[in-house]
Amino acid sequence: MARRYDSRTTIFSPEGRLYQIEYAMEAISHAGSVLGVLSKDGIVLAAEKKVTGKLLDLSGSNQGGYGGSGEKIFMLNSNVVAGVAGITADANSLVNYARQAAQRHLFTYNEDIPVEVLAQRLCDLKQGYTQYGGLRPFGVSLLYAGYDPHYNFQLYHSDPSGNYSGWKATCVGANSGTAQSLLKQEYKDDITMDGAIDLVLRVMSKTMDSTTLGSEKLEFATLTLDPETKQPKARIYRPAEIDALLQKQGLGKKEEDTEMKS
Amino acid sequence: MEVSFAMTGKGYVLLAADTTAVHSIIKVKTDVDKIKELSPHLLMAYSGEPGDTVQFAEYVERNIRLYQIRHTYPLRPPSAASWIRRSLAESLRSRNPYSVNLLLGGYDTSTYTPHLYWMDYLGTLVEVPFAAHGYGSYFALSLLDRYHDPEATVEEGLAVLRRCLDEVSKRLVVSPGKYKVKIVDKDGIREVEL
Amino acid sequence: MSIMQYNGGSVIAMVGKDCVAIASDLRLGVQSLSISSNFEKIFPVTDRLYIGLPGLASDVTTLREQFRYRVNMYTIKEEREIEPQAFAQLVSSTLYEKRFGPYFIEPVIAGMQKTPSGSYAPFIAATDLIGCLNFAKDFVVAGTASEKLFGVAEGLWEPDLEAEDLFETISQTLLNAVDRDAFSGWGAIVHVITKDKIVILSSSAFISPGLGLAS
Repeated sequence: MARRYDSRTTIFSPEGRLYQIEYAMEAISHAGSVLGVLSKDGIVLAAEKKVTGKLLDLSGSNQGGYGGSGEKIFMLNSNVVAGVAGITADANSLVNYARQAAQRHLFTYNEDIPVEVLAQRLCDLKQGYTQYGGLRPFGVSLLYAGYDPHYNFQLYHSDPSGNYSGWKATCVGANSGTAQSLLKQEYKDDITMDGAIDLVLRVMSKTMDSTTLGSEKLEFATLTLDPETKQPKARIYRPAEIDALLQKQGLGKKEEDTEMKS
Repeated sequence: MEVSFAMTGKGYVLLAADTTAVHSIIKVKTDVDKIKELSPHLLMAYSGEPGDTVQFAEYVERNIRLYQIRHTYPLRPPSAASWIRRSLAESLRSRNPYSVNLLLGGYDTSTYTPHLYWMDYLGTLVEVPFAAHGYGSYFALSLLDRYHDPEATVEEGLAVLRRCLDEVSKRLVVSPGKYKVKIVDKDGIREVEL
Repeated sequence: MSIMQYNGGSVIAMVGKDCVAIASDLRLGVQSLSISSNFEKIFPVTDRLYIGLPGLASDVTTLREQFRYRVNMYTIKEEREIEPQAFAQLVSSTLYEKRFGPYFIEPVIAGMQKTPSGSYAPFIAATDLIGCLNFAKDFVVAGTASEKLFGVAEGLWEPDLEAEDLFETISQTLLNAVDRDAFSGWGAIVHVITKDKIVILSSSAFISPGLGLAS
């Protein structure tokens, strides 16, 4: 039955479904998961990397750029970082679009783009691809961690249909159901930034395939206010910083492991 | 001749504009409101070429309103000022530019600060503690240099404003008779009687 | 009265030993009527690069916003900060794009340029309102007090000034020049850029109190 309504562009099936969007969502549910937790004084994002290997050139994430390997977590603007889950090629195109939209907003209004406005811009684009002929939807869900003076710290999620919603803590990608229910159990409204970092890493370690967390499988970022300038400050951790953080949290590779290997 | 003043005080901005509509040497109306309420916490006093003024003010008013409808919250005063400035700057190099001068007074509800902007038809934008347009500026600016206090209460602010208006009535040959005075603070916009 | 003199204002930049400085006044006027004593004309481009935009105030803001947009897009695409040399080229072509209906601005650029060896070299440049670049080795001036700035700078500047001495030289040059110019003054701001630190000082920090600018 499905084949009659999904071979070409997105059109409604007799049951009122849009198969192409459902397939896009399916693609995302296999992707490396992204997790976000909101606290009063900042936001934490973590993501599971799928593309790994000894031969992969990671010099880009060790120095230069904004930090991060450019696979899962991106700076969209000085006040917004995003985690992406889904088709990486589609995500790159959306990230580029978001960065341009943010710069256009800065140009016209001389202010950093409000987080929800940026989410709306991207969702307008995504929605268009569910309707106009000959196009397939973006196979990408995003988590936006941002700050603006209207609503302070905010966490949004958008999916391939062009829907978006605000969250205190959420997850997209593989095992997102498990992560979501863990977050639901453990999230407290008065969570601190340290508490949020701890929560994110613990949930991540439980939902990821590998037994131990490490910088080769993990991307990590925070958004806080600079205590001096009171401006939002995004920090995408570099591999060495991630390993140091994991070590501090007691989630890193155990010393014995390395001893065993040698 | 058109006269408009504005000044900041402790948590508020005061705007005053004359209420006369002039055609050649005739006063055709004496109760014109030349201060538009752009959003719940934003006021704009406009003066300049008759026709251009109302056309441009309404264009701005509708666009600011549209932003508020689309995004649920209105543009903050600094962003609104930047957007209006760009409109004037682009208009300046178009086939027929608007010649409109503006004073923009607003209260930023997210940082709890009052803002006052002086803007002219060229697209010059600057944030100031007090400002004036028209012939009134030649009298009022020196008075305000002496008497303006950014920490003044509303009563004190109005007293300084009255000094300015009195000076214009006393010394300016073509002084307007009546003014409309509006104030914007954390509670929004209200008109005050002098 | 030329449109270049309508709002008033002046900018100067100087080269020192492993440092550069750029300074401007803070006046905004409408012909001889002063409107503001807090109109900044110098803007940061990167941590080591500044641009001063004296001229028509409307175009100061327009160009500032346009340069910020273009530099941010450059930074996003290249994943690195723009170098002074490349930025000067960007300024030049932006202005020449409007060759027959120009922006009424004469930009001054000052920054530290990365050399192939990894160290930094002082860089200053200025252009006219249609983007003709002038790379100078000593100092560049622009704005309503430019003639006076040329005169004083010619007398005070010397090669290889250390950061502190360069600060003193550029401050005295600017203050004494704008004092003789009715369209400039009303406060000043100085930026000194070295390879790893930027010092910004506004008029209240180095001008003795009083109505005018003490020199």
